[in-house]
Amino acid sequence: MIGFDAILASFGAAFTFHSIAVIFGGVLLGYIVGVIPGLNRSVAIAIAIPLTFYMSAYAAIAFLIGLSKGTAAGSAVSAILLNTPGEPSSAATCLDGYPLARSGKPRKALKVGLLASVVGDLLATLLLIAVAIPFAAVALKFGPYELAAILIFALVFIAGMAGGSFLKGLAAGGMGVILGTVGLDPETGAMRLTFGYAELMEGVPILPLVIGTLALSEMFVQLEEYRRNKDADVIRLSKNADDDLSYGEFKGTLPTIFKSTGIGAFVGALPGLGPSVGAFMAYGFAKRSAKNPDSFGKGNPNGIAAAEAADNAVIPASYIPLFGLGIPGSVSAALLVGAFMIHGIQVGPLMLRDHPEMLFTIFSGMIVASLLMLAIGWYGLRIFAKVTSVPPNIVIPVVIFLCLAGIQVQGYGTFGLIVVFGFAIFGYFLKKFDYSFVTFLVAFIVTPMLEMNLRQSIILSGGEISILLERPIALVFVIITALMVLHLGWSSYRRNASRRAAS
Amino acid sequence: MARMDFWSGAVVSALALALIIWVIPTYGGGGAAFGLPPQLLASLGAWLMLICAAALSLVSAVKLWRAGESPIQLPSGSHLWHMLWPFLYVLGFIFLVDRFPLTWIAPLLIGALLVILGERRWYLVLPVAVVPALGLYVLTAHLMRIGVV
Amino acid sequence: MYLKRLSTAIVATAMAVGVAQADDFPSQPLTLVVGFGAGGSTDIQARVLANVLEEELGQPVNVVNQPGAGGGVALSRLAVNDDEGYTFVFGTSMTITYGPLSTETNYQLDDFRYVAGVTLGQSAMVTGEDRPFGDTWEGLIEYAKENPGTSYATQTALDRMIIEYIAQQEGLDLRIVPTSGGAGMAPLILSGDVDFAYSGGTHSGYADSGEMPVLLSLAEDRLVAFPDAPSIQEAGYDINPAEIRVVMVPQNTPDGHVERLAEALEVATQDERFIEITEERILMPVVYMDEDEVTQTLSDQVTGYRALLEELGGVPGEDDED
Repeated sequence: MIGFDAILASFGAAFTFHSIAVIFGGVLLGYIVGVIPGLNRSVAIAIAIPLTFYMSAYAAIAFLIGLSKGTAAGSAVSAILLNTPGEPSSAATCLDGYPLARSGKPRKALKVGLLASVVGDLLATLLLIAVAIPFAAVALKFGPYELAAILIFALVFIAGMAGGSFLKGLAAGGMGVILGTVGLDPETGAMRLTFGYAELMEGVPILPLVIGTLALSEMFVQLEEYRRNKDADVIRLSKNADDDLSYGEFKGTLPTIFKSTGIGAFVGALPGLGPSVGAFMAYGFAKRSAKNPDSFGKGNPNGIAAAEAADNAVIPASYIPLFGLGIPGSVSAALLVGAFMIHGIQVGPLMLRDHPEMLFTIFSGMIVASLLMLAIGWYGLRIFAKVTSVPPNIVIPVVIFLCLAGIQVQGYGTFGLIVVFGFAIFGYFLKKFDYSFVTFLVAFIVTPMLEMNLRQSIILSGGEISILLERPIALVFVIITALMVLHLGWSSYRRNASRRAAS
Repeated sequence: MARMDFWSGAVVSALALALIIWVIPTYGGGGAAFGLPPQLLASLGAWLMLICAAALSLVSAVKLWRAGESPIQLPSGSHLWHMLWPFLYVLGFIFLVDRFPLTWIAPLLIGALLVILGERRWYLVLPVAVVPALGLYVLTAHLMRIGVV
Repeated sequence: MYLKRLSTAIVATAMAVGVAQADDFPSQPLTLVVGFGAGGSTDIQARVLANVLEEELGQPVNVVNQPGAGGGVALSRLAVNDDEGYTFVFGTSMTITYGPLSTETNYQLDDFRYVAGVTLGQSAMVTGEDRPFGDTWEGLIEYAKENPGTSYATQTALDRMIIEYIAQQEGLDLRIVPTSGGAGMAPLILSGDVDFAYSGGTHSGYADSGEMPVLLSLAEDRLVAFPDAPSIQEAGYDINPAEIRVVMVPQNTPDGHVERLAEALEVATQDERFIEITEERILMPVVYMDEDEVTQTLSDQVTGYRALLEELGGVPGEDDED
């Protein structure tokens, strides 16, 4: 285990000039990405991963986490000024943000959003640090039995919670499982679904898959929609002295911020739910518990605060299962797993043991990112308000270029470009027909781990299922998973039945 | 929506069926393994796809039938072209990138698309087309030192 | 006879041409190909090596990653490359020695020239703390003979073959568990779920804490950090699985170019930066093995592996329990 001095040293490492510069770059870029409506978080992370190759592992991860946090804060700007959420998760921010901005107080709306974002993010980061380490310490004792059981549980949970149709989610998950098994079979040495390509021997390369399904496909979707919503009404910041946030007003929103952070953190820690769910849940809760629910939707600062605090709290909280168990619970966490893999680090509880200084430096880097978010958002208010009007016809070509550049930089060559294109078509259909993305990506990432642990369990136990009785934690997860499958099946049957009765 | 569900479900079922009957048994790998045979997880995934997609297709077919809607509604030619051209555009450039370094192709890739999307101001097109390529050049040739890609 | 004279003549001419070209080689930038992704230990080492070579050769040396198939993708591209030594692969010997035996590849050992070996691998059989058999190889063998179902975690096709050979020699009934990389192996050993395991280099990181004792060195000699554990040959098994990190060029590279590269590599193995990154970060000893020595070692290894495979009766993995 790591000593106190070492922890302090790791914190020190996050406060060096170089480190702060990298995180600043990440947050700033994230902010811009968040502000521009056509660009979203997963697109940005997917194309930023290759750009981090020449950085050290720590710098790369800190940069990506900064980017991820920045998008959540930046997306409020376009939600408020444009009534178009920069990220889907900021849709709840539009509800009160846009009306408040329309009524001549855009600056106030932006500042409430920013402060709520920062507080939500910071508190959730602290929660992550407090929870992930004891979690990882316990998880270190887990063997293949426990891990296999937990991975199955996580997969079923994500498929059930990821939103949209349960059937479509499972089907997408099935595709992820199949793609996850591609490559050299670790036990028999057989080639699986490689079709003779040596490039596929170690599995479908994660970077082309991610860039294709997430980034390039998104550009195709936007090209198609490009003509439909060309002009939007941007609210400009006025010089109106009346339009500012007073300390008293901010204090008034604090209780909402705290409650919403709690909701966001809870939702984030559960794999698969995602920030949109967190933001809408927090908004709904704030509205119901308010004294004057009618003022919500007409520019109530509490509405902005609730949505933004929860939206931002989800991001750090979604890293709890990632660092604690090695299981990605969201798209951005799944992308981080890929980034860690590229830098030769297995993310998960083992990090606490093998790279504790790195883990603590990343955590302190996350705190630095929260603080930088405040500074960037506060002083960049004016500039970001202008960035909202960057038209998509500039964004799309550049992003397409970045997708191809990412593949070339990593050295996958023409094979990689074809794979990217194939997955872009695949991702396009996932989006068009509304099949769950999270389930697909998480299933793809988790399948190799699951198969390995399952296999190890079966070989080590000699194939006897009674071993579970000696492994209480694994047994508990197996039982919970079984119950959950029953519950999900039952509730979707009930839903269908009631719909049929209604119609 | 029901129409889209019906068709996507049908396509996914067909894909899953092809995987189960042909692709996985032929290319899934073999060999004796204790515990998990190499094809097991992939087959499970394919069955999962098949069952879910078939169920989805069935449910939406019933819905369509009840609503009295026809399951077939062809998209118009211009709409189809509108969907298709971005793919062809990118595919064309992938062929070019196979021959020449991306760094040299990039300004054309970005610039041409900008013009297609209706941007006519040259003072905007020029920097947007050139700056990213320059950035890539600096990244690969100087920071990562892997040569021009 | 005539044919032999002709071939001698051709070789002589080729050498003369090679020498003539050697004077101005390299006259353009070189490419160092790494068969693994960015950030791995081979990649980290390669980037420093490229820096050192660049100063020595007076031309830029670009590092290109061609990941896939355990280094195999890079080699199959190198095999069809003919730019006379301007492109070379830095990789591990296992890819070229055991790779073609365990999987279908479009390259063989004699498709390449092995300019020099610059680092020795430190792979080993390891175990955890407080095991019933202690931390000696004899102890483990005794224990495994009495306890059928003793478990072993494998990472590569090569170590699987070695353990199967050992199991056959000693009459052991082992449960062989697959795992991926040092990061997959370490938790199994540390949590005590597996009795012993193959380790490529992960154990070096635990040398100080003693949490991962080495039972058997799989290098030619005993390991630098674990001098108490016998080498595999000392333990009485006639195998030499020693891993060497080598620089490879296609077979048709002119002699003069190979010599120039070899000179530069010899200087690199004495360079502070290369020694520091290798011995302190990756924890492997830096050596310099010339072309003849490396080629001899590798071809002996291939012969040895082939004999072993025949003794085991074919493809690895076939005689697993079922």
